[in-house]
Amino acid sequence: MTRRELLAAPAVAPAQTSEQHSRLNGLRKLMGPRLAFAASLLLASLAPAAVSVPAVCSACHNAKTAMGGLDLGTLPDRLDDRSVRERWIRVHDRVERAEMPPKGVTFPEPQRTAWLRQLSQAIHEADRAQAMEFGRGPLRRLNRDEYQQNLRDVLELPALDIRDILPEDREGHRFNKAAETLDMSRVQLTAYLDAAEAALRHAMVVETSPRSAVHYRAVGTALFPEKVTFGEREAMFFAKNNKAIETKQLDVYKDDPSIEMALFRSAHWPYYGYPRKFVAKWPGEYRVRFSARAVLHVENYRVQPASRPVPMTFRARKPSGPDVSGDVRATGGVMDVLPEARVFETTILLRELETFEYSPLGLPVPLARNVDGGAPTYRYPPFPSGGQPGIAIQWLEVDGPLPPSEWPPASHRVLFGDLGINPSPARPAAEARRLLRRFADRAAHEPVPASALVKYEQLVQTRLDRGAGFTEAMLAGYKAFLSSPHFLYLREPENSDDHFSIAARLSHFLTNTRSDEQLRELARSRTLRDPANLRRQAERLIAGPGFERFIANFTDYWLNLRYIRRDDPDIRLYPEYRFDNYLVESMERETRAFVTAMFRDNLPSRAIVSTDFIYANDRLASHYGLLPLNGSAMRKVMLPPQSPLGGLLTQAAILKVTANGATTSPVIRGAWIMERLIGDPPPPPPTGVPSVEPDIRGAKTIRQLLTMHTKNATCAGCHERFDPVGLALENFDILGGWRTRYRGLEQGEPVTGIDRAGHDFSYTLAEAVNASGKLLDGRTFADVLQLKTFLAANPRQLARNLLHQLTIYSTGVPVRFSDRAEMEAILDANARTGFRVRDLVQSLVASRIFLGKAGFDKP
Amino acid sequence: MIERRRFLRAAGVTLALPGLECFSAGVAGAAAVEPVRRMILISNNLGVLPKLFFPQSTGRNYELSPYLTGLAEHRSDFTVFSGLSHPAVEGGHSTENCFLTGARGPTKSGFRNTISLDQFAAERLGQSTRFPTLNLGVNIDKANRSLSWTRDGVLLPAEDTAPALFRKMFIQGEPEAVARQLRRLEERGSILDTLLEDAGQFSHRLGRDDRQRLDQYLTSVREVEGRLQMMREWEQRPKPLARQAAPPDIQDKKLFFAKLELMLSMAQLAIESDSTRVVTLMVDAFATPVFKLRENQDTTDGYHNLSHHGQAAEKLQQLENAERQQMALLAKLLRSLANARENGQRLLDTTMVLYGSNMGDANTHDNSNLPILLAGGGFRHGKHIAFGHDNNTPLANMFVAMLQRLGVDCESFASSTGRLKELEFV
Repeated sequence: MTRRELLAAPAVAPAQTSEQHSRLNGLRKLMGPRLAFAASLLLASLAPAAVSVPAVCSACHNAKTAMGGLDLGTLPDRLDDRSVRERWIRVHDRVERAEMPPKGVTFPEPQRTAWLRQLSQAIHEADRAQAMEFGRGPLRRLNRDEYQQNLRDVLELPALDIRDILPEDREGHRFNKAAETLDMSRVQLTAYLDAAEAALRHAMVVETSPRSAVHYRAVGTALFPEKVTFGEREAMFFAKNNKAIETKQLDVYKDDPSIEMALFRSAHWPYYGYPRKFVAKWPGEYRVRFSARAVLHVENYRVQPASRPVPMTFRARKPSGPDVSGDVRATGGVMDVLPEARVFETTILLRELETFEYSPLGLPVPLARNVDGGAPTYRYPPFPSGGQPGIAIQWLEVDGPLPPSEWPPASHRVLFGDLGINPSPARPAAEARRLLRRFADRAAHEPVPASALVKYEQLVQTRLDRGAGFTEAMLAGYKAFLSSPHFLYLREPENSDDHFSIAARLSHFLTNTRSDEQLRELARSRTLRDPANLRRQAERLIAGPGFERFIANFTDYWLNLRYIRRDDPDIRLYPEYRFDNYLVESMERETRAFVTAMFRDNLPSRAIVSTDFIYANDRLASHYGLLPLNGSAMRKVMLPPQSPLGGLLTQAAILKVTANGATTSPVIRGAWIMERLIGDPPPPPPTGVPSVEPDIRGAKTIRQLLTMHTKNATCAGCHERFDPVGLALENFDILGGWRTRYRGLEQGEPVTGIDRAGHDFSYTLAEAVNASGKLLDGRTFADVLQLKTFLAANPRQLARNLLHQLTIYSTGVPVRFSDRAEMEAILDANARTGFRVRDLVQSLVASRIFLGKAGFDKP
Repeated sequence: MIERRRFLRAAGVTLALPGLECFSAGVAGAAAVEPVRRMILISNNLGVLPKLFFPQSTGRNYELSPYLTGLAEHRSDFTVFSGLSHPAVEGGHSTENCFLTGARGPTKSGFRNTISLDQFAAERLGQSTRFPTLNLGVNIDKANRSLSWTRDGVLLPAEDTAPALFRKMFIQGEPEAVARQLRRLEERGSILDTLLEDAGQFSHRLGRDDRQRLDQYLTSVREVEGRLQMMREWEQRPKPLARQAAPPDIQDKKLFFAKLELMLSMAQLAIESDSTRVVTLMVDAFATPVFKLRENQDTTDGYHNLSHHGQAAEKLQQLENAERQQMALLAKLLRSLANARENGQRLLDTTMVLYGSNMGDANTHDNSNLPILLAGGGFRHGKHIAFGHDNNTPLANMFVAMLQRLGVDCESFASSTGRLKELEFV
């Protein structure tokens, strides 16, 4: 018997089982009662009493059996050691969640509660002491998105694109913000040096005047690369008086301004279409103006005005043949082309030698077949009734690159002040000092002491001494500074006077970049820590344009939206989703719009699982089976009563990232939802057990394949925590479309046809979906709607999870044990109003969790 | 694809080898005594079907398994192992980053990876080539996967585009460009000095945990400085000449075999040109979506889903096909290494080629009994060396043997318990 068992034995003596009782007696026999008692007294005085182990635990977790690999007897009690503390936290949590002791063994009250309180107290105190001594978390390196955004802001280069020079950041606790995983290595440091250099080259100019903009105008047949149709006339033709022009007539009409170019297919391989002979000679922003209308393609290659708008965008790319090569990027935003011709204007971003192609959204792509290795031929599905929608363009103009509003541009003046182009000042050393100071004040997260800055001055001087020109020498100094800890690392606030750290933390949290002038001003005047100021600033940032970066990055990681395009739908089972990029794009925008509303409209935490509205556009309305909507813009749509939709839980984007393109797995979806949305992560899967793969033949439902998970007690122990949630979502297919029957390839009722791109398809409608289930606590539900009412009934847990996510996101450190009390206090304070999301952010920002040591001092 | 075929035909044949000849002669004039030794370390993170890979019989007269028949012509040039694995490296796919590190408990909280075999070797060998190591990948998820890790568990990303590798290895800068590069290196040197001084001062104001993070920064600065010195020297030496044009870039993840073949030939080019002595190649099958199995046939599932075949005949058939094709590509690499000569010796005899996986059986996420094959490099091959199926021998024991063969003076690496004595030097 170990000393810890010895220790623990008297504490739980009243509740001893007969087995434990006999063990204790055995010990007494062995040592004699007095000696045993003396030993327990002696050891009790050495070890923290709260970390004693109740006999009910040590009966299994001892040196001999070490059930689950845990021998509590040898678990050290040095709670100031982080890894020891973490193990004790697991012990605490498993007992607190009643996972331990296992079924059939009782840990009687009130000992259980008392023991938990003692242990919790001891861990809390140890953890708090460590946090007070060493800070709540260490320095955190900027991730590459933050680095780029910081540089964009410092250098006034909003379109700077240097992110990919840096290695992708490793994920920690699901985010790219965890201090511990944002490592530094020689590879990383070299990349920072390279990225800084590239950014500085972009920032400075050597030309004495801006490049003159080029004007381009296309009418008639110049609106398309060739004077033919492409993909045959079903995809595109030139029209005059609403009728297609014969190809041989095109030379006659040529630049006739009354010709329209009509497009009926989305831009996708092998389709291509861009204005003839336009390429960007210089990288930069270009203004595009064009006149277009939405049309329907009806019989005999005639067009007539459409009944609904058709959305379009442009895609920047190198001109090439039909094989898309290299980068293709949407640019210029989505425009809804209306049935009445109208002039549109937008700004697109092009790299050198790029052009841009027309990209109508949501239209099918043509199927190209190379019969017997010959040239591609095309095939089309039957037109929808009423005609095939498309767009007709009358003319198009491009101007650019758009010159900066001043010369030299703002970015150049960040580096060289008013010294002009190719500066060569009379007193270089003095100028260098002045410019460096100015730059450091702008770039660093807090004022840089003169003793540090002097190193950079020396560097510039050394470069000058070695014969470098003034510009090169200055760039070396800036490059060094942008690779220095002053720029690369964010610090925990040290005390209530540490306003600059608070400012940087707040701005990187809510705008993914450095603090702006207002925050810096408050930091300089040492008033940012003032609760009212802090609150006002957080409100301002949430309302401002930089908050879009928070939404993008937070949802990319929390909800995995960065993987929204990862799995293409299996077109054998889901031919209707073939190449439907517009749908995928729309679902991504829906979720971002919804999360934006959660914060800006201060929605209650229950919105995570349930709301009576969603955000939708034309494509999503049809995807979700709602009343038709016109146009691509996301808007708030009230749901009919009893709709299964509403809340993040049932959004198409969530349902897509939790499926694999072919099948849905309630296990994966359930575990994902429990971890990310509910905050009750399942334990890691056991090793050596194969995952259950759905049967795509259609013979068995996933429920039948998962029977083991409920029948086998070992499996059920974990799976009953999350499988049911996944099962409730079985009515949603791989892209979040509603289904009542599974699809298969072999068994069931056959469905055949021709898909949007002209491919034959054939799948089967197999077994009916059963989305009912039973929760861990025994409550049963018939469908997802009922499940939602259960989940929504615990808004505190939903809020707690969101706060956990926001904590790691904003501080780079997950919720520590010593943060737990504060966390509950935040929840208490927000309970009355239903845990509103922006209020939660405000509470977090005002808390010791966010403010670190600064939170302990009275401001 | 024609472009790729042309490149592959040319690779390793029309390559002028001043690199190989003069560099190896240049290494301390030791070439005649002890040849330059190299290694290529390959892992497919989903492994292979064990039944088809492992031979039934052991020893020198073992009967080739179905997969190894694809390598029959090289029988005397490789050893196949069974019963090897990394102790306490379990947890399904999370073990993939530990294949060359052997770091225990990749799924445990607070896990930190450790130095990988390639980095360890490079660190000990010093920079006698332009690149201490080259890390290659096929379809690799660069951010989260790599075979190559620093001592403090930082991922060193793999390169997965062939043209970028080719440029790195062969494209000579203009003299003016070289001079510019040297100036740049010199400038960078003074920048690093500045960072070192400033950060040293910065660190005095910090607490313990912060200082640990900053130490990582300072270590990085010093390491970059060290490399810079080497780079200065290397910058002044000409790059080896390659007569063929740059290789094509294959972006499409579906063209899995084409990418693998191309990367294997890049690995060989790197070795032949003595650009480096240590190459790693992670074949990221996990990140490989539905891929092209043969002309006009794609797999029905992504590679990962296939690997969870659950004994479904349709999936097994596709996996077997995919794995046999990989064996054929491996055979091709061995063949061309055997055909290449250095100082009259077969390049294969001085180049170890490790092919293996962190997965013993991907279907069940089993990380024991790893498929391991070691070819060339100067060992007595031609055997199936079998260790206990239920009581595996540490794979790191084999790594120790490889390190020693490479000329690194070491007795242990990672979780090794000694040197794999069954593996004898020639």
